[in-house]
Amino acid sequence: MRNRTLGTAALATLTLAVTACGGGSPAPSAAPTGSATAPTAAPADKGGGQLVIWADPNRVKALKPFADQFGAENGVTVEVKEISKDNQQTFLTASQQGSGPDVMVGAHDWIGNLVQNGAIDPVNLTEQQKAAFPEIALKAVTFDGQVYAAPYAVENIALIRNTELAPDAPATLEDMVAKGKELKEAGKVKEILCLPVAQKGDAFHVYPIFAAGGGSLFGTTPAGDPDPKKVLLGSAESVKAFGRLKELGEKGDGALKTSITNENYVATFAGGRCAFLVSGPWAMGDVKKGGISYDITPVPSFKDGKPATPFVGVQSFFVAAKGRNKTLAQEFVANYVTNKDVAKALYDADPRPPALTAALQEVQAADADAGKFMDAGKDGFPMPAIPEMQAVWEPFGIAEAAVVKGGDAAKAAEAAQKTIDGSLKN
Amino acid sequence: MRLALRHVFVLVVCAFALFPIVFVVSAAINPLGTLASTDLLPNGASLANFADLFGSDVHPFGRWFLNSVFIALTASFAGLLLSMSAAYAFSRMRFRGRRVGLLALLLIQMFPQFLAIVTIFIIFTEVTELYPAFGFDTAWGLILLYLGGALGVNTWLMKGFLDTVPRELDEAATVDGATHAQIFWRVIMPLVTPILAVTAMLAFIGTMSEFIMASVFLRDPGSKTLAVGMYGMIAGDQRNANFGMFAAATLLTAIPTVGAFLWLQRYIVSGLTSGAVKG
Amino acid sequence: MTSDVPEAAKPRRAPRPRREITTAYVVTRIAVLAVTAAILVYAVPPLVAARAWIALAVLVAVTAAIVCLYLTRRLIPAKYLVPGTVLLIAFQLFPILYTVSTAFTNFGDGHRGDKQSAVTAIETGSVRQAPGSPEYTLTAALRGDELVFLLVDPETRRVQTGSGEGLAPLEGARLGVTGKVLAAPGLTVLTAPQAAARGAEIAALAVPTAGGLIKANGLSRAVEGRAALDYDPACDCVRGDGDTWTADEARGYFLNARGEHLAQGWQVGVGLDNFARVLTNPTISGYFAGVFGWNVVFALASVVTTFGLGMGVALALHHPRMRGTRFYRIALILPYAMPSFAMLLVWRDLFNRDFGLVNQSLGLTVDWMGEPVTARFAVILVNLWLGFPYMFLVTTGALQAIPRELTEAASIDGASPWHAFRRVTLPLLLVALTPLLISSFAFNFNNFNAIQLTSEGGPFPAENPQVGATDLLITYTFRLAFGTGGAQFGFAAAISVFIFAIVALISVVTFRRTRRQEEVYA
Repeated sequence: MRNRTLGTAALATLTLAVTACGGGSPAPSAAPTGSATAPTAAPADKGGGQLVIWADPNRVKALKPFADQFGAENGVTVEVKEISKDNQQTFLTASQQGSGPDVMVGAHDWIGNLVQNGAIDPVNLTEQQKAAFPEIALKAVTFDGQVYAAPYAVENIALIRNTELAPDAPATLEDMVAKGKELKEAGKVKEILCLPVAQKGDAFHVYPIFAAGGGSLFGTTPAGDPDPKKVLLGSAESVKAFGRLKELGEKGDGALKTSITNENYVATFAGGRCAFLVSGPWAMGDVKKGGISYDITPVPSFKDGKPATPFVGVQSFFVAAKGRNKTLAQEFVANYVTNKDVAKALYDADPRPPALTAALQEVQAADADAGKFMDAGKDGFPMPAIPEMQAVWEPFGIAEAAVVKGGDAAKAAEAAQKTIDGSLKN
Repeated sequence: MRLALRHVFVLVVCAFALFPIVFVVSAAINPLGTLASTDLLPNGASLANFADLFGSDVHPFGRWFLNSVFIALTASFAGLLLSMSAAYAFSRMRFRGRRVGLLALLLIQMFPQFLAIVTIFIIFTEVTELYPAFGFDTAWGLILLYLGGALGVNTWLMKGFLDTVPRELDEAATVDGATHAQIFWRVIMPLVTPILAVTAMLAFIGTMSEFIMASVFLRDPGSKTLAVGMYGMIAGDQRNANFGMFAAATLLTAIPTVGAFLWLQRYIVSGLTSGAVKG
Repeated sequence: MTSDVPEAAKPRRAPRPRREITTAYVVTRIAVLAVTAAILVYAVPPLVAARAWIALAVLVAVTAAIVCLYLTRRLIPAKYLVPGTVLLIAFQLFPILYTVSTAFTNFGDGHRGDKQSAVTAIETGSVRQAPGSPEYTLTAALRGDELVFLLVDPETRRVQTGSGEGLAPLEGARLGVTGKVLAAPGLTVLTAPQAAARGAEIAALAVPTAGGLIKANGLSRAVEGRAALDYDPACDCVRGDGDTWTADEARGYFLNARGEHLAQGWQVGVGLDNFARVLTNPTISGYFAGVFGWNVVFALASVVTTFGLGMGVALALHHPRMRGTRFYRIALILPYAMPSFAMLLVWRDLFNRDFGLVNQSLGLTVDWMGEPVTARFAVILVNLWLGFPYMFLVTTGALQAIPRELTEAASIDGASPWHAFRRVTLPLLLVALTPLLISSFAFNFNNFNAIQLTSEGGPFPAENPQVGATDLLITYTFRLAFGTGGAQFGFAAAISVFIFAIVALISVVTFRRTRRQEEVYA
């Protein structure tokens, strides 16, 4: 697996440079070989007692104490390293070359791609352990009938509203837009709805509204999983849904705008210049800093619409297939992080609702938001973990941005469908 | 030319240069620090973001700062030596393969680099195992990697400058019996201080802000450079939460660069005017 | 490294220098030998320990060659070129060659490793717990030197030993509250740290049973599982779940009769397929001309504007009576001192229609990044901001190298300042800077970040999500290779080769014209 020959090849190319200028006086062949002087600089005898965990910067600190405790209990050293860029690809590349971690932390929708690259092993949870998780979390980490990760947080978006500006939760999207417009005309807010669209669209945030309008991404297999062979973005229902997005867009109600982006949507809401925000638990830090009173409810649907189901994402621990210490990694993932205290510590570091039902209940007692987010996501749709989903995000987003700017819904949907079909064929 | 006009022109360009930076300053002193604040004067200015930056145990900013300065200084100094030597050979000597070599240097720069990450893993997985001191998560390994790029553009830059230094100078020294090494160190080097200073500056800045290689190379929180650490601050959905700190960090990043510039400035502008025509 | 030896002070004898054995000579040779010895002492033992004989041979050969180079009096250019070149080859040229070599494979997501890894992954991934089998509590123990599993059925609390031979009942074991075995007659029970240290052995042990294999699942549990899929080398196929998947060496997948493949694939050579795909891909060929045109405009505009502005301010400051230059210079290099990825993001937000500072300060409502013309203008402007300090620094340095006497002579001759600039200053500047301008062109031609972090290639027309108005060749082709359907490194490498060929061709043609210049001024 590790590619010693290639490493050697790299060294070998070094010779090319030198052989080019061969000649000169005969060499007093590299003389001194300090035989006894150099204590063999130990070629790091890992494998035995070391567990390496990779996580993103925000979780490193929360994991550290538990990693150390695990290390002390098992007489091993545990290193937590942080990766901040292209985590999934970096993990895959590093694993392939043999310098990856034993345990990886990431989102459940990586699973399809990690599995097709043979980068992770199934995680064997007992029936008892499985029962400790809500169904949706388990469903998310199950791929091809096999559990591939231990979930630790479940997150989804919901409608967060400023209760001073909008005391009542809107029953429908129409109500929400009407209220927003009214507030805007009264000069109380600057924007009707804070939902990021940006120039390239944001499929994740707009999906509940798209689903409410009747749109869908994939058909379903008999087993109930998304079927990558049936991309439905160009279907008549989806065209109608894109039409609804267009009505909400810049040439229509003005609730969806390309100028509202990931950078400004939470800040605008937190600054009180917008009564409605569609976002997830990660926005709550800023919302609280803004000092406004708020409530969290599910994203409403259209009056005659389908349910506005949000995507559900599950943060998870994976066991690397090419790790050096898989027994320890299995022990850590299956038997250690599925424990309530770890889930709560991770919640404290970054408040996303814990996946463990018991931990969630405790957290809820102190922080009602976590439960409200869970409620908003209980009928949610786990982000498809199939590798084919990677082909959908961008064309979907661009089609969204196009209709929000007033483009033709049918054309945009058809173009997105064509692009996705084209790339899935390859 | 009229001085006043020069001042007006330079001031306009300075305004252009500073425009987005003013925005970063405003974000850095805004306690609610977000990338979205449209008001230049934030509602309440404070140095809280700076305090957070140094008080944070998630982001060991002080360490990143030292790491960056160390790596940038070492890599730019060593890189300068390498590229200066090469430039001297290319400018002053005539040998087989010279044009080809120069052309190759130029062309290598043109290959899109970011697929190279796979290879970096191939090489350094092996190195980490054999020589941990130069492996992943070490400053020395990263410096080595950066030195691989030292010959690239800098050689061309310095060769271009060397070509403008009259050859009579070193020919005279050769006649005086000086060796090539003596000419290099005693005649050429002093003559080209402005160029050395400029190149050192460029190399320093380049290393300070490099983050694509560094981000795959440095994974220990304590081993990171500023660019990598700061990228982590705003990676993913953390962008809003940390933007104030990020803006503060961006401003502090400029300090070593400006310091280096102040130090090198006198070499840049005093340089050669006296030396060049003496020969 | 010459020390202070009065060699230059020696009486002249011949027009060609005669070198003799000086202290400096001896010192440098000793230094070379010492450095070499140090490198060998450091580098050899790990290679010996790892039994990497080829690498060792290469190392010794390279070191010998380098020693030889610095001990001989000949090959002077090589002495100056080798240190940088060695590093260049290892960290730039080798990666490029490797990348190019992947263009001939299907290397990418789903096809990263070799076939063996794919088979392992398929089998491991298909292991299911045997229906109705207990979830054993595991304790690792030693029987003599042999590692065995002590397996406790949590319901019946019956204890069995598991070894390579199979299961055997065990009597007289003492159990703790967690169900782990604390002590057993004739066996040494391993503590957690002891077991952890034997992680690899524990992972390797498989206890055969009637229904499959019992394998450890971490350190404290074991399950009886059975691989649903099995690789059979005889037919080079994978069987199981009532189906058969046969290896297809051309695609690097196991395929069944219906043409469906198993998720895990492996890397195979595909010859020129990736190159053919670049040439025949309807998206690439259909939009090539337009994107190429804009790409050239973008790169040229970036070079011309950055050089123009950088040189302009450098010239403006290059005046003996100019005051405040220190302040100006600092302000002018600040854009270059900020991390560029951060500033690109900042600029993108400055150009936001409703929230951006640009519109607010100018009182406009332009959707900068939303309209093709303004988006193109904006990305060039941003690139100008990022790039002009570089040109400013370089020109400032180059201006110092131009003897003031020359420009003064020109003005005494009665030339206007503009004339003096055109006739004297600019040509001299261009001698030093032409190669930089060429490489700046090449850099901007492939300036992925400048586009990706600002406009992301957009705006996109509603009817085509694949090619936006500000897309460069590298952004829209890499979107095909990475944005959709996972990372396809082989395809991306083939794209890189084509783009490289285009840039290199343009550059070489330009470069050839510099030869004359160099010979005139050198």
